[in-house]
Amino acid sequence: MRSRNGNCPFILPSLALICTLSYGTDNYYIGYRFTAQNVQAINETLTISKAMQPCPTRAASVLELKYNGYEPLEALLNRERDRFVEFAAVQELRIKNNDTVTLNAIKSQETFTLPTRCYAVEFNRDFVTITLLQ
Amino acid sequence: MKLSAALATAFSVSALYAGFFSPDGTDEPKIKCVYSGTDGSCVEPILKAENELVITVTGQGVAPSVTSSPAQAYALAKRAAMADGYRQIAERVKGVQVEGQDTIKNMMLQQSSTKTSVEAIVRGANLLNTTFKEGLCEVEMEIALSYSRVLH
Repeated sequence: MRSRNGNCPFILPSLALICTLSYGTDNYYIGYRFTAQNVQAINETLTISKAMQPCPTRAASVLELKYNGYEPLEALLNRERDRFVEFAAVQELRIKNNDTVTLNAIKSQETFTLPTRCYAVEFNRDFVTITLLQ
Repeated sequence: MKLSAALATAFSVSALYAGFFSPDGTDEPKIKCVYSGTDGSCVEPILKAENELVITVTGQGVAPSVTSSPAQAYALAKRAAMADGYRQIAERVKGVQVEGQDTIKNMMLQQSSTKTSVEAIVRGANLLNTTFKEGLCEVEMEIALSYSRVLH
């Protein structure tokens, strides 16, 4: 006599694996804006929001960051902001610059913006994988 | 017969001089520069279908006067330098919009202002090198332009 799931013995492990992966990976929308005036930083904003709708599934590039096991994504990205900005800036970046020169003053303002994109964030025990989805 | 041969020779020499035929047999005239300086040297190279054009810039940034730590000062100076580098890339690839205004009253210059602006989306620029010395951060950046990247 065959067991109840004898025809498909891999269904239950596969379902468990899919559930584990889907719980381990979350999708977040992350955007960044940096403003410098006269080549001096004056403002910096990092926005993070959990995705409420499904994101695209095609992975474009991956960043791996060290993780201490308990901190939230906001704290992690604040700590590793430099690496994240460099990683995301290579993909796409919007730059806007305005210079004004008058008889007695020069003013320069630069804004660079990382467009808000969906990233898949996978928390592991001692590292986090951030994947840009396109 | 001799007259026609002489005419044909004269025509081909003048055509060669005008650039219709190149000596190496290719029909396309060779253009090496977009702009030529007064001494005839290349100022800006042109992007061609068969090769990549690499543009290298150096961005500079200064740390804010008030920061909570030297590490924060370094990070912010680096980001300001990156913004400057991206601005230079955008200026060289896309160009700058320039707007000038002079006000003259009683034959005297009262006010003069020049505004320049750049706005662009940059993809695929790489950070090559970063140096930080006496509060000034310099980043060397490059972008490789090719037909396949421009068209995608």
